[in-house]
Amino acid sequence: MIPVENYFVLSSLVFLCGLAGVMFRRNLIMVLMSIELMLNAVNIIFVAASRHLAQVDGQIMVLFVITVAACEAAVGLAMVIALFRRYGTVNTEFLRLLRG
Amino acid sequence: MEALYFVPEMLFYVISGLILLSSIMVVAARNPVTSAIFLVVDLFFVAALYAQLDAHFTAAIQVLVYAGAIVVLFVFVIMILNLKPDALRGIRFSLGEALVLLITLAGFVIVGSELARTAPDLTTPGNLGSAAIEMAGGNTYVVAMRMFTAFLWPFEMASVLILLAIVACVMIAKKDKRVTKS
Repeated sequence: MIPVENYFVLSSLVFLCGLAGVMFRRNLIMVLMSIELMLNAVNIIFVAASRHLAQVDGQIMVLFVITVAACEAAVGLAMVIALFRRYGTVNTEFLRLLRG
Repeated sequence: MEALYFVPEMLFYVISGLILLSSIMVVAARNPVTSAIFLVVDLFFVAALYAQLDAHFTAAIQVLVYAGAIVVLFVFVIMILNLKPDALRGIRFSLGEALVLLITLAGFVIVGSELARTAPDLTTPGNLGSAAIEMAGGNTYVVAMRMFTAFLWPFEMASVLILLAIVACVMIAKKDKRVTKS
């Protein structure tokens, strides 16, 4: 039986990878993929805790998180396409509409 | 199968290492297609982790929806936009960004230590351990029973969310006549 702390450490490290991707990558699609990575890290915790506490509620939460992630990816990619059509780039350095 | 079953700890460390390696590659790869492929690898190994945790239905959904649908969507958009590999010259480790990473790490350590201090006692687990789930008809059956009783309302809300997302995608991504004309 693997202690639940190991899953927590793994999830933290994967989440930090995703966060670094969101902060350091300049490509909008890479940013979206990093967000998927972060959501996935949270799912690991949910399933591990569900096993640890001997309940299935965590697994049901993971199903909802996957639903939200699918919606977020679809809407985000639609926005990427719209931005590319309008400005001809997906580089976040050139998309500074809200930067003032 | 029998040989694999006897070394769950070793399997966990192998899977964890591969998950970490592939998630680093997702973030660090120059080519977006390479990143998407490593995202598939990462999601597959996370599904393997779920299967090891007896969450069989979640593992199946992970492979179907995440690796099957979402990453295909990413690859499709990369193909449509015909993206070139990044130059990676935009990467600068500014002090503020490094600070954000450090603070997040510190937050994880604090939350983890608090969880370890206040976690429920393992000797009094809930009523749905692996053996109880096996007795009740398997993981999928137990999850479905719980989902369509206690979580029925959130489940219906999820379907409304998907409908909203479909409408939003069509509205956002469709060609804007005024923009293309000017």
